[in-house]
Amino acid sequence: MRIGMVCPYSFDVPGGVQFHVRDLAEVFIAQGHDVSVLAPADEDADVPPYLVSCGKAVPVRYNGSVARLTFGPVTSARVTRWLENGSFDVVHLHEPVTPSVSLMALWAAEEPVVATFHTSTVRSRAMHAANPLLRPSLEKIRARISVSEDAAATVRRHLGGDTYIIPNGVHVDRFAQAPTRADWVGTAERPTLAFLGRVDEPRKGLGVLLRALPSVLDARPGTRLLVAGPGDATELLRRADPRAAAATEVLGAVSDTDKQSLLRSVDVYVAPHLGGESFGIVLVEAMAACAPVLASDLPAFVRVLDDGRTGVLHEAGSSASLAAALVDLLADEDRRNALRRAGSERARIFDWRPVSRQVMAVYETVLAGAHAELADAPRGLWGRIVRNVPGGGA
Amino acid sequence: MLDIDVLQVATFLVIVVIGVAWYLSYSAARLDRLHAKVEGAMSALDAQLVRRAEATLELANSGALDPATALLLADAATESIERTTEHPLAEDLLDGQHFGGREETEAVLTEILAVTLTDDVVARLLAQDDELVADSLDRIAASALRVRMARRFHNDAVREVRRVRQKRVVRWFRLAGHAALPARVEFDDALPPALAR
Repeated sequence: MRIGMVCPYSFDVPGGVQFHVRDLAEVFIAQGHDVSVLAPADEDADVPPYLVSCGKAVPVRYNGSVARLTFGPVTSARVTRWLENGSFDVVHLHEPVTPSVSLMALWAAEEPVVATFHTSTVRSRAMHAANPLLRPSLEKIRARISVSEDAAATVRRHLGGDTYIIPNGVHVDRFAQAPTRADWVGTAERPTLAFLGRVDEPRKGLGVLLRALPSVLDARPGTRLLVAGPGDATELLRRADPRAAAATEVLGAVSDTDKQSLLRSVDVYVAPHLGGESFGIVLVEAMAACAPVLASDLPAFVRVLDDGRTGVLHEAGSSASLAAALVDLLADEDRRNALRRAGSERARIFDWRPVSRQVMAVYETVLAGAHAELADAPRGLWGRIVRNVPGGGA
Repeated sequence: MLDIDVLQVATFLVIVVIGVAWYLSYSAARLDRLHAKVEGAMSALDAQLVRRAEATLELANSGALDPATALLLADAATESIERTTEHPLAEDLLDGQHFGGREETEAVLTEILAVTLTDDVVARLLAQDDELVADSLDRIAASALRVRMARRFHNDAVREVRRVRQKRVVRWFRLAGHAALPARVEFDDALPPALAR
């Protein structure tokens, strides 16, 4: 099958949507499908061969963080050319209402369109304002997928209607079989905690964790916090309690293999996020790597952790609640081992094998509908003129 | 003086008429496209239901099941196939926009699949190492999953059609013509838990 995927965010910058698109594309390529991904990327960036760049991305504040998006007439022309050259059977757009290249592709596409909604962030004003403008384009989408219950609720609230939920995927085996690294493995004296994510983004919650750390150090003086993720942490550490800062080791941005090893090695993976998460893929990765998970009680996290059965939850934003849960968990090895087992079992349903099978089933369902429809599509000059209205498509 | 006014007014009127005509055509085409989408989605749903029933019948006739289970499955599957072969889609004047009251039949098949294909039974069937049985189980699972998807996509398309048909311009100018108002298709389409994986 010839599949065209569109990712609105810059491909050379790490991010949940980008990783999802990359993994899905690679899984389908490995299965023998023809996949082309259209996304913003810098000209000189090191990009995979299936990626077609639609131009350089501009940093814009969007969805609570700085997103790198593209827009404008040059991009628009490139989108049209990509669609023309690709002759895709199906076009799969990610985040179709983000003001970037996905929206342009939706506008221009004449192929059957599948769309995946990732975000759960409330953006009511923007979505409602754009609604009359977007409606006719959105009607072109034949199948709407949400990655989680929360993303589905956002779609229902702002655009109306149902979506089919297919979770984000993880290469479970890569995490389960990753080697541990001696200097990251905790001991009874010196247990290790892992934090993953942009360190300078407040909603990832590193600040909460640093405030919780002194109480943890009171109970377990040797505790080490390993922080992996892009961004500058110096300011945050300077303002933090000096003991917490001393117990923190900043690893910076890590490679995929290092991330896998880190999660395999540590005693607890901590996810103190404050909000804006619609899925929590890192939690699944941690479970796949058999790391006990301690996460804030965001609705998405509660769901990924199977209502708290495969991880420990703490009150989001409360460092006291986080500290108490951490101290308990570090003291209870049996509990940690039980969580490792439950987590690795849970992670399996998020493996790319079943997940990609479901996405392929969506493509096939959509194609079956499109073929049935093609049989009696009206033709004629006037029909074509009317049909080629911008945003209306055919 | 009067001449210019008449010309201006005439030009203005022509522009307005062209504008209105374009907007009406555009709205009609948009609605037509939405109707076509519903029709396509319905036909995809129909095709998967047929596949589900055929695979079920195959499993029932494989001889791998006890006669009571086989009869239950065969009965529900045959009922479903008979209802589709009545061609409610091809013949009906509503142009593929309705389901022909098959909800009950399909819900029954869903229910029978759920009660017969328990974890235990599926494990035993797979243990027989019979390629035909494993294949029909696979096809039941695949088509049941696609039924779920197709029904949701169909209902979403129905929602869009109904919204556009509520618009004043569509009602006043009867842009929908004689096309029936499509309705949501509601029936229990849960996958047998043992096949959900």
